[in-house]
Amino acid sequence: MLKIQNLSATVGEGEAAKTIINGLSLEVPAGEVHAIMGPNGAGKSTLSYVLTGRDGYAVTGGAATLDGQDILAMEPEARATAGLFLSFQYPVEIPGVPVMTFVRTAMNAQRKARGEPEISAPDYLKKSREVAKMLNLDADMLKRPVNVGFSGGEKKRLEIYQMLMLEPRFMVLDETDSGLDIDALRTVAEGVNALRAPERGMLVITHYQRLLDHIKPDKVHVLAKGRIIKTGGPELALRLEKEGYDGVLAEAV
Amino acid sequence: MSAALKDMIRNPTVAELELVARYAALKADPRRERLFEAFAQTGLPHRRHEEWRWSDFKAAVTALDTPATPPAADPLATEGVATLKFTPQGYTAPASLPPGLRLLAKEEVQAMSGAEDAPLGALAAALSGAKNSPATLLAEVTGEAPVRLHMVFSGPGAINAARVVFLLRPGARLEVSESHLGGAALSTALVEYTLQERAKLSRIVYQRGGKTEAQAITALIHQDAGAETKQTVLAFGAKVARIETRLVHQETGSHATLNAAYLAGDGYHIDFTSHVRHGARACTTRQVTKGAVLDGGRGVFQGKFHVPRNAGQQTDASMQHNALLLEEGAEVFAKPELEILADDVQCAHGNTSGALDQNQLFYLRQRGIPLEKARALLTEAFIAEALEQAGPHEDALRAEASQWLAI
Ligand SMILES: Nc1ncnc2c1ncn2[C@@H]1O[C@H](COP(=O)(O)OP(=O)(O)OP(=O)(O)O)[C@@H](O)[C@H]1O
Ligand SMILES: [Mg+2]
Repeated sequence: MLKIQNLSATVGEGEAAKTIINGLSLEVPAGEVHAIMGPNGAGKSTLSYVLTGRDGYAVTGGAATLDGQDILAMEPEARATAGLFLSFQYPVEIPGVPVMTFVRTAMNAQRKARGEPEISAPDYLKKSREVAKMLNLDADMLKRPVNVGFSGGEKKRLEIYQMLMLEPRFMVLDETDSGLDIDALRTVAEGVNALRAPERGMLVITHYQRLLDHIKPDKVHVLAKGRIIKTGGPELALRLEKEGYDGVLAEAV
Repeated sequence: MSAALKDMIRNPTVAELELVARYAALKADPRRERLFEAFAQTGLPHRRHEEWRWSDFKAAVTALDTPATPPAADPLATEGVATLKFTPQGYTAPASLPPGLRLLAKEEVQAMSGAEDAPLGALAAALSGAKNSPATLLAEVTGEAPVRLHMVFSGPGAINAARVVFLLRPGARLEVSESHLGGAALSTALVEYTLQERAKLSRIVYQRGGKTEAQAITALIHQDAGAETKQTVLAFGAKVARIETRLVHQETGSHATLNAAYLAGDGYHIDFTSHVRHGARACTTRQVTKGAVLDGGRGVFQGKFHVPRNAGQQTDASMQHNALLLEEGAEVFAKPELEILADDVQCAHGNTSGALDQNQLFYLRQRGIPLEKARALLTEAFIAEALEQAGPHEDALRAEASQWLAI
């Protein structure tokens, strides 16, 4: 489903350009959930931005495809329409734009681009209520401007709210667990698991095993210095939790 | 034309000579003469006048021919609300007026305070009284019930000069909307509001002119104790457009909210100038101006608070101007000025101009919102604060803004 081959990317321009992703390869078949772990500054968020097409990053080599489609050549909105969703490590505040307006605009923009009819206001509200209930989200929060004044945990829950509303085909979750309290972690994980399906894929970036207790990954990758240095099953995460990165980093050399 | 008339303006342009001729054709009146002299001191203001350095009317008004573009449509027209119309062909008022409103069409020109400081306002006063319109239109508002009124200033024609003088009696309430729709080579309107004790004014201004037109809207507002003005302006500009508000808090405890949003496309120029004098104790002013400008467009903000040493104690005033440069080539000039001579005051001001936030744009696009739509959504949200006090007209103004943004 998602196939990344020997990908390299830099951040910054001209003389200041710095290689962050350095020959990274990774494949997530449809129906699977893969976790990415790795030290701070390894390039995990950078990978998520390169995949989703944020400005300021230049791909200097390799390829990335979603169901065979070259996503790196597409505009960010086209990638989103193709089904790619990023749950941001640091969700962005949008003053003056209520959550409802934002998510409905996004939903209808995607539908329009795919040649589907718009969602009606009652249908949207019905779906929104269901999703909010599942995530224990206060209805008032959805009337407020996107992320403005939201607590860290509320922002993360709002990311998952958007994900459940938009029903993407491939999801990248960048440290969705950070900032969540124990109960919120469980409800968010339930939300994420609700989207697991044979035709969907997921890449879960995290530092901690506890998220993976709830969202069971098929594979765990260790990302360091811009590439995948080790891949294993769920037991790899448990080993990292116990030993830290030193062991796997040493093995990789 | 006599030599004396010709000499009134130094080195007059063709357009200025035409203005002199129009003045000379009107009924002689010593007050009219004084007003025209006040205008003639500067002539059409130009960039070498400090207060007009970014808005050059002399250069913009080349000929006084009827422009090719018709006046803009009026989004503020509301069924059942009395409407006064000011056109180059004359003035019309409905047969029946709301209770609490009395109109007096005067043959004599009324004096104008501070005419020298507002040359285009003085010009409007000096040229009003052509056929089918009064030299001065007085409007008196009385009673406690709110009086609703709509005024339209529009062409077509060469010159559209109009003046209205409102007097709000103690405790009176006026909810007025003004649509300045252009359609004349030079449109200049002078609207004066005197608010006696506890009077309340809500003023909504919509301005939209053509790319070959010059437009000036001058408001003079004087407030007595406990009076309150709430003003919201939405402007799209013209070849050159100046929207000027001169407000004086002249008695204790008077309040003013002066909000404005401007959207300047390619070839459009919008100048917001305001001058607020805190001439009495414990008065408040809240001013929020938001603008968005495209390549080839130009926005100007000149805001001044003047707080005199003794009279202005306990002033509470804030001024904010934020501009979005939506494209490279967009221009914004801003000059916020606080002249505070009193010591017991709270005055704040903020002034920013910059591009849209890249992080916000990316966030919207990551959710599938196309770039153009994302820009429009963010810009609309950006200017929304400036329109949120427009009461029943907020939706209409927002709709105009979003339509412009969708282009
Ligand atoms: N715009 C930038 N300019 C310069 N360096 C950058 C820029 N963006 C990211 N980097 C650097 O790239 C490296 C990778 O950053 P990235 O955010 O991808 O790390 P990460 O693996 O997500 O870390 P964390 O676990 O702390 O979230 C870091 O060293 C960071 O400082
Ligand atoms: Mg990160």
